[in-house]
Amino acid sequence: MDTRAILRRAGWGLIWAALLLFTFLAYQLFVTDLLNSRVQAEAKADLEVDLEERRVELPEPETITVEDTVPEEEPEAPTTTLPPITFIPEAAGEQGSTLGRMVIPSLDLDEVIFSGVNSETLKKGPGHMPGTPVPGQPGNAVISGHRTTYGRPFYDLDLLEKGDRITVETATGLHVYEVRRTLIVPPDDVKVIQPLVGAWLTLTTCHPHFSAAERLIIQAELVEGPNLEYANLLVARDVEHEENT
Amino acid sequence: MRRIWASLPGPVVVKAVEAVLLLAVLLVALFFLFEWAGGFLDSGGAITG
Repeated sequence: MDTRAILRRAGWGLIWAALLLFTFLAYQLFVTDLLNSRVQAEAKADLEVDLEERRVELPEPETITVEDTVPEEEPEAPTTTLPPITFIPEAAGEQGSTLGRMVIPSLDLDEVIFSGVNSETLKKGPGHMPGTPVPGQPGNAVISGHRTTYGRPFYDLDLLEKGDRITVETATGLHVYEVRRTLIVPPDDVKVIQPLVGAWLTLTTCHPHFSAAERLIIQAELVEGPNLEYANLLVARDVEHEENT
Repeated sequence: MRRIWASLPGPVVVKAVEAVLLLAVLLVALFFLFEWAGGFLDSGGAITG
């Protein structure tokens, strides 16, 4: 084969490779967005019905009575009973089922969230990590989402600042969180999904843009919601326990 | 393209069916390739530890 023939073949090879790459990028950046927007539109239309179905399955709220602690220096002082605290428990649903809606006004984000973080679920929208509490529950609720494909719900997550609000609506009501910290960690850093005292929301996404090499983590603390008093009680008990040990 | 078409066995109608099947297999393979490669762009952001 002469040099011209080799060059011609190499040229065609490069043209096909470029075409393949272009098609790949078009699929990832536009087609996946289109697929996701249809799923999100359907999920938003059905959200109220789905939440109502979940409400029916909720366990009975728990009422917790709290006795004010007696200071050690005043053992004779009477114990006062504080107004009862109501705790509304909620468990995650089946993999891929609708869990609620997340709104971040500062990012103009409004997404239906689903139970589970497998690849099929995350194509639909942000997903709740199984084994972590549902948003609004005490502990560390973890939600993961795509950054650059499938509707890119968490594209601008790095723009969140301390104090920005994140609202999550689930079957138990509206839970408002305030951003406390931003971290960048390796993809297998499980420290960020460990349980926390109080009620926290951890958002995880790929970092940097167009790479899955790291994870961008946003941690926000519950500041409003039906379980806020219960979460605060758990924090107070933890502080008390720390002081006594 | 012309060479691929010429190499397909059978009369024109059979060639056309073979070409459609070949294209379908190619598209499915491309879909799986794109899905796999897409994981390097954005895996969904879950912590995998």
